[in-house]
Amino acid sequence: MKYWGTLLLLPSLLFAQPEFFGYFESEASTMQLGSTNYNFGFNKFRLDVEARPNDHVQIGANINIQQYWGKTSWDVYDFIPVDHPTGQGLIFTIPDTILLDNFYMKLSFKLADLTVGRQQVSPGVGYAWNPVDIFNSKSLMDPSYEQPGVNALRVDIPLGDRSTVSSIILPKDVLDESTHQFTLKSGIGSFDLTATAAYESEKDWQTPLLGRYDVSERNLIGGSVIGEMLGWGVWVEGAYNTLKIDIPPWSSFLPPDSEETYAEYVVGIDHTFDNSLYMLVEYLHNELGVKKQENLSLNHYIFALEGEVNSLMQDYTFFYAMHPTFDYVTLSAIVFSNLNDTSGVFSPIIDWNVYEDTNLSFQGSLNWGDSDTEFGLQDWGLIMNITSTF
Amino acid sequence: MKLKLLLLSPFLLLIAHAQGPTADQIVDRVTNIMSPENSHSKGSQTIITSSGKERVFEFESWAAEKGKSTLTRYTKPAAIRGQAFLMLNNADDIWSYFPRTKRIRKLASHAKKQKMQGSDFTYEDMGGGDVFQKKFKSRILTEETRDGAPTWKIEMSGIPEEDPPYPKIIMWVRQSDYYPIALDYYNEKDFNTKSLVLSDIQLIEEYPTAMEMVMTDNKERSSTTMRTLEITYAWEPPKGFFSERNLKK
Repeated sequence: MKYWGTLLLLPSLLFAQPEFFGYFESEASTMQLGSTNYNFGFNKFRLDVEARPNDHVQIGANINIQQYWGKTSWDVYDFIPVDHPTGQGLIFTIPDTILLDNFYMKLSFKLADLTVGRQQVSPGVGYAWNPVDIFNSKSLMDPSYEQPGVNALRVDIPLGDRSTVSSIILPKDVLDESTHQFTLKSGIGSFDLTATAAYESEKDWQTPLLGRYDVSERNLIGGSVIGEMLGWGVWVEGAYNTLKIDIPPWSSFLPPDSEETYAEYVVGIDHTFDNSLYMLVEYLHNELGVKKQENLSLNHYIFALEGEVNSLMQDYTFFYAMHPTFDYVTLSAIVFSNLNDTSGVFSPIIDWNVYEDTNLSFQGSLNWGDSDTEFGLQDWGLIMNITSTF
Repeated sequence: MKLKLLLLSPFLLLIAHAQGPTADQIVDRVTNIMSPENSHSKGSQTIITSSGKERVFEFESWAAEKGKSTLTRYTKPAAIRGQAFLMLNNADDIWSYFPRTKRIRKLASHAKKQKMQGSDFTYEDMGGGDVFQKKFKSRILTEETRDGAPTWKIEMSGIPEEDPPYPKIIMWVRQSDYYPIALDYYNEKDFNTKSLVLSDIQLIEEYPTAMEMVMTDNKERSSTTMRTLEITYAWEPPKGFFSERNLKK
């Protein structure tokens, strides 16, 4: 019964003159952590198939095959400057994966679009952080990387050329326990405005670190504004959250039945100068984060590492600059910092479009801050990535 | 007195006609010819860098309201397939769509100064509408023959309050049909940064159409050839076509 969607969509895909495309990505990394150097990486193959039986129907799917090499088992305490209560490590292993990532059908009616199946959902206008996004978490080293699909039923109803009402439901056994997100998007002048409300219930949280426990309830009210002021792109995205977490009693080092009410917002600006230099700056304030370093607990680190919160502490900045300096070579740099513990990362990037569909990039990272800070724990790293699209 | 003026007016018109059209009249005609009500086209964009490396892109483009609204979707190469740009109000409002992240983002108007996929055309260069009429003050410099055709050489100086895309443009307009065949773009230092040559001009559905446009960056020594592969002006935009909803399709 679980695979009824697959049985329904697969024949449609095969008989509708599908297009195949995708990419192969190989990444090699080295990282200096204290006195130890680690080498690791992955090979990833993504195959997309897309079919349009007629103007009103679109069917899409993709399979990701990802194989890891080098160091694949990590002790979470290597990334956390606190001691484990029992003195033992918390080891997690990254397994090779074959994943049916997206698998959806989009029906375009006169008055609405309906998308059913596993699909990528990326709400929000922020670049590095998205307080209104309850579906994904981003890596600050590459915030524009694709997000995994989620099982959802999505309805978009356009109201005029610039306004849309969207409803996304992640169905569960019981409708009341399903995750809902409603969004109203509109535009005034050179600004796009969005209002968002979301409810998340009984979210399974299967963490390799702590086993399973649940976000029993999350309510979110938020919104965003993006537009232009004095020739600069400007945006703000924020959310007010109520979060209830049921933590199993055996997790003795975590406080049971935690509840948090918090606001989170990001403000950003960007500009392209006449010499083609593009610059972006964002600031994040997250009340769920910890303001003072001495108040950090293991719980906070695990929340951050698992991507369940957007940040470990409260205040962060993100800077990105990019310039197409040479023929098919783009030089860019990312700098992000934790303003509360004054640690950060400087990451220069060279991206070379070697051939029409092949990119080779080198991304370095130089960390600063004390060894007991969020980013100061790591010394430096280097990532080589080659991606070939077909 | 009124009678005298009435009797004289045909002669005044004749004199005015004999002197030829004014710069503003030429620019008005150019704008009309270059901005058909609607269009749907497929094209290619070949970039040749200063070191001789070549990249070819293909795209499909739709325009309405005399170029005030445009939607461009890249079809090749695979790395950017599906990337789309919606430009409204003569590219003052721009939205981009990236299929890899399924994200639509509103871009500030400074983004129109960015190079289209690294080419020598900016998004602003591709915008149509009445930019020449509204953002420039024009004057005829001279009449000269270019590529065997008699032309008007028009100087268009940007009106600073209107935020013109370039401080100055020199345009050669063919006298036979008011079609521009070359444009030189200047920066603040009065340096000719880019040159555009329009060629292979064919009459498509009563509109003269340059099937090839070559933009040369005089500083970088690179060039981009924009070739029209298919075009029709008979396309009528369905309601809601120039919208975010359609950008994602």
